[in-house]
Amino acid sequence: MSAPLVLLPSDEVPQDHLPTNNSNPLRLGPGLRILSQPSSKGSNHVLTATQAGLLTTDAKRNTVSLLSFPNRRYIPTVNDFVIAQIHHSSVDFFHCMVTPHTAHALLGQLSFEGASKKTRPMLKQGELVYARVQSVGVGAGAEVELTCVNPATGKADGGLGPLTGGMVFDVSTGLVVLSELGKKLESLGGFEIAVGRNGKVWVDCSNAAESAVKVTIAIGRCLQETDQQNLHTHDQKKLVMKILRDMKLVS
Amino acid sequence: MSKEAQLSIAERDFILEALRENVRLDGRQPDDYRPLDLSFGEEYGHVKLQLGKTNIIVRISAEVTKPREDRPFDGLFNINLELSAMGSPAWENGRTNDIEAYATNILDRIIRHSNALDTESLCILKGVSCWSIRADVHIIDYDGNITDAACIAIMAGLQHFRRPDAVVKDGRVIVYGVEQRVPVALNITHKPLSVTFHTFNDSKHVIVDATLKEEQAAEGDIVIGINSVGDVCYLSKYAGSPADAMAIVNKTNVAWEKVKEINVAVEKVLQADLAKRAKIGMADESRAENDRLVQTE
Repeated sequence: MSAPLVLLPSDEVPQDHLPTNNSNPLRLGPGLRILSQPSSKGSNHVLTATQAGLLTTDAKRNTVSLLSFPNRRYIPTVNDFVIAQIHHSSVDFFHCMVTPHTAHALLGQLSFEGASKKTRPMLKQGELVYARVQSVGVGAGAEVELTCVNPATGKADGGLGPLTGGMVFDVSTGLVVLSELGKKLESLGGFEIAVGRNGKVWVDCSNAAESAVKVTIAIGRCLQETDQQNLHTHDQKKLVMKILRDMKLVS
Repeated sequence: MSKEAQLSIAERDFILEALRENVRLDGRQPDDYRPLDLSFGEEYGHVKLQLGKTNIIVRISAEVTKPREDRPFDGLFNINLELSAMGSPAWENGRTNDIEAYATNILDRIIRHSNALDTESLCILKGVSCWSIRADVHIIDYDGNITDAACIAIMAGLQHFRRPDAVVKDGRVIVYGVEQRVPVALNITHKPLSVTFHTFNDSKHVIVDATLKEEQAAEGDIVIGINSVGDVCYLSKYAGSPADAMAIVNKTNVAWEKVKEINVAVEKVLQADLAKRAKIGMADESRAENDRLVQTE
């Protein structure tokens, strides 16, 4: 593995950083764009970055992705998991807010697990769904499409679908940190969590009976403070203990 | 898009449920403010204030103008609050929205109409010239409760501000530069602050200093303007569902405590800043051979 490489938007990914395993098709993560595909044996992929970030590659799975930095603006990318809020519904689609004050994303009325004309979920304004970005369209004004099923299997992989109860916490996009909490809170019934790439985390602890609300808030505070203060593993553990004590969840 | 994005059902229900158990999203007690961080810029009357994630900059400025015809003895004082797209994506530049009108009104009523700044002391020459003091409020980041934050910042700015000295000689007004004469502090008669409460669950739960999410889930708000001595100079209950009368009486006492606390905190920062200025300021500036820029720090 070569030295870490930071790319800026429009930078080309150097050839020697691309995985050389050719048995699988090359898979791209968010923040990268393909400019040309190899046409003959000799040529190579030409990739450019669309966001600033750290280049990471996985030779085994033949993936290239860009580890972007905490960011308050989310740009939808295909295959991202997001937490969207229903804004209104029309005949064929639910119009959802992925981030406030951006164009609505479309979620098909039938793109839920096992949904048919009769069994489709009736979602009201303000309800939340955990969805995957299906397509983002090309050019200005293109509509973002979401889905709650895997089109190949027709199943809701990874807990996709409507989210009921619980609470949503806002964090920077690109942040996915969770540790320690699971262990500490196991005795209270554990918790359910859905992480959206659009900077939202949904938490539900309805298993925890009477302390459900406190546990949820404790998790939310841990996440937000970790995010704001950019804590390292050691400090995160301390923070978890501090907040749990503060909320009187552990002695 | 002039409206803040709506809260999801799950969030609203959760906030209400949590309040029923007396817990707030950030672990605060119902009567706790978020951490207040106040600092002053290099110039007099430049205040930076952070209340949780709400971030505000206030700039006080002064100029000499003609007083109004009907009030020849009074100076002018204006509060100018503008919500720019910087603070929240819901706001557009150059377009007024409800929050702006609402907050400006409250600030006007609490600070201006209660005569916190003695406008008569701003008169230089009757009917001819007076000082016009202007407070510009800029919201840099918005996470609820801008009225309280702006109120604290403006009051701190007014106490921090120094206007150039002006005298009348043979019927002519002479304004001395900051280098020529020590600038003068404004005449503050009292220090009123606003304390905003939000009510939930048929006004069973009343909390102070709500964040944006809490504000959106609330059913109504009560704004109390009160000074350190305990004089209530403003009370409003504009919209939303009715509030319990006893709650208002009780919360006025809470507001008084809060205003006393905040005023003490502001005073502390103010004194520290003035002491720092006194140390570096005059000794260097008054030296005759020193016509270079005064170095700070």
